[in-house]
Amino acid sequence: MKAELLRVLNKRPPPRMLTPSMLLIATYILLALAAPVIAPQNPYDPLQIYAWEASSPPGTAGSGGFLYLLGTDGLGRDIVSCILYGLRISLVVSITSAAIAALIGLTAGVSAAYFGKWADVAIMRLVDLQLSLPTILVALIAIVTLGPGIDRIILALIIAQWATYARLARSVALSETRKSYMDAARLMRLPTSRILFRHLLPNSIAPAITLIPIEVGHAVALEATLSFLGLGVPIDKPSLGSTVANGFQYLLTGQYWISLFPGLALFGLIASINFVGEDVRRRLDPRSRSV
Amino acid sequence: MALISVALGRLSQSVLLLLAMSVIGFIGIHSIGNPVFNIVNIETATPDDIHRATVALGLDQPIWRQYVLFLDNVIQGNFGTSYIYHQPALALVMSKLPATLELACVAMLVAAPAGTGVGLLAGRRKGGLFDCAALRSSVFALSIPSFWLSMMLILLGAILTGWFPSGGRGATTSVLRLEWSVLTRDGLWHMILPALALAIPNIALIARLSRSGTIEVESLDFTRFCRAKGLSPRRILFRHTLPNISVPIMTIIGLQFGGMLAFAVVVESIFSWPGVGKLLIDSIQLLDRPVVMATLTFISVAFVALNAFVDLFHAVLDPRVRLAS
Repeated sequence: MKAELLRVLNKRPPPRMLTPSMLLIATYILLALAAPVIAPQNPYDPLQIYAWEASSPPGTAGSGGFLYLLGTDGLGRDIVSCILYGLRISLVVSITSAAIAALIGLTAGVSAAYFGKWADVAIMRLVDLQLSLPTILVALIAIVTLGPGIDRIILALIIAQWATYARLARSVALSETRKSYMDAARLMRLPTSRILFRHLLPNSIAPAITLIPIEVGHAVALEATLSFLGLGVPIDKPSLGSTVANGFQYLLTGQYWISLFPGLALFGLIASINFVGEDVRRRLDPRSRSV
Repeated sequence: MALISVALGRLSQSVLLLLAMSVIGFIGIHSIGNPVFNIVNIETATPDDIHRATVALGLDQPIWRQYVLFLDNVIQGNFGTSYIYHQPALALVMSKLPATLELACVAMLVAAPAGTGVGLLAGRRKGGLFDCAALRSSVFALSIPSFWLSMMLILLGAILTGWFPSGGRGATTSVLRLEWSVLTRDGLWHMILPALALAIPNIALIARLSRSGTIEVESLDFTRFCRAKGLSPRRILFRHTLPNISVPIMTIIGLQFGGMLAFAVVVESIFSWPGVGKLLIDSIQLLDRPVVMATLTFISVAFVALNAFVDLFHAVLDPRVRLAS
């Protein structure tokens, strides 16, 4: 009976397009897009904030004519609005940095494989160097050198993440360069850029695509961590991470809601991205299927 | 002989790695702006002041000479004097090291057996209920941002229940002229929450690795032979499967130990644990540049050294690695 039940449970369902995690991600994106419309307050606008209502517990009625569903933070900002607006920053930072990192990493990896010789050695040494250090350390070093600000944090995340793509793209492109269509392209004397970007890159891109969701998840967590440490986004434009950080000093006096709810939102976002990422990888990459 | 050549190769590789890193860091810092403006007050300094500061700091020299000078100082362990504490920067970092090390060791002592155990049990019945639960919770555990996990541990373990202290190091005893928390009851009590915060993601990571290793080993011929011989499942699991998956687990433990040094930055500053990580964040916020440089260099060197050591250990344990190189 139990074995029967397990077999039914384990039988892989036909590929569903809509898992709960995907639904959650879609909700997050919709909420972030609609933030200015649905948020009861604009937390960046000092005129809409009532400082005397700072640290109100969840469910307090505010002077703005709406209910502080999840309470307010130490500066009187509505937590719901902080989450919605913070989500925008977190998503923009992580998606932008993951996309640019993928672009740079893929180009670097494919060029390393195509040109070989010293270009290969130079690029791959740099990649090995980076991958031998923990990502958080690379991001920390980068942000300490670059200084704070949203553009800097995106740059730091790109620096921290491009190497992963480069290594994967190079290993795929190496086997592609030996195929006959590459010989044909070279014999036709196509320009190098055309061979690289129109032939080699599209054919080596697939495995690296599976990395993107996982790396976006990493980027969200990294940005939040840097912001938490006070090295990320500026304090008047809080991301999810810095909203949690703002609540830290109030946690010890029992005002748990300032850090609990934004953190929960952050956790839900990262977890659902990771679930989707794992799913994508399992489906597209046969090597990881057995694991 | 083979082992010595592996060791030498690994050592030279690590030294090259560190050299390359220092060159990149050096060029990076110089490309961002003239460091003189970090020292002089831009609003009040006359061009003459700036020129004198440039000469005094050696910034008028060609960049390769500056680099050689910098390298020379670093090799002698001279990172300058902390602007805030007025102590040599490296000595300051070293004085904070025991606190970080003991925290990381306790966390790993929790994470390694727990993770391996969960992985073994999950991998033994692939697709079973426990396996599914373990896999799912591992994704959750790896998704929790470590700073939020630490804060929630404080909320649950310290504020709501009052079981554990919310921060600090507690009482310490002096052994070998260094202060240790782990040897006193109070210190150990202070250590539980931060150690858990460091351990939880690592339990998940180690569990995933040992699960996939167990699945692989259990499908090999020798386990089938053991089963045919009539050995009990428990004996197969602990006497035959466990030793066979131990090499990758040892590797990940070594690597994650280095990762903990980096993640200690977050956990230590939340639990106000006076270690290297908290020193780094405090120095960044106080613009204490010599200490920031010394700390980042120290963590990087420690991590690279640890990596090299893990590789060597790998070669000692697994003859295949030795022969392949």
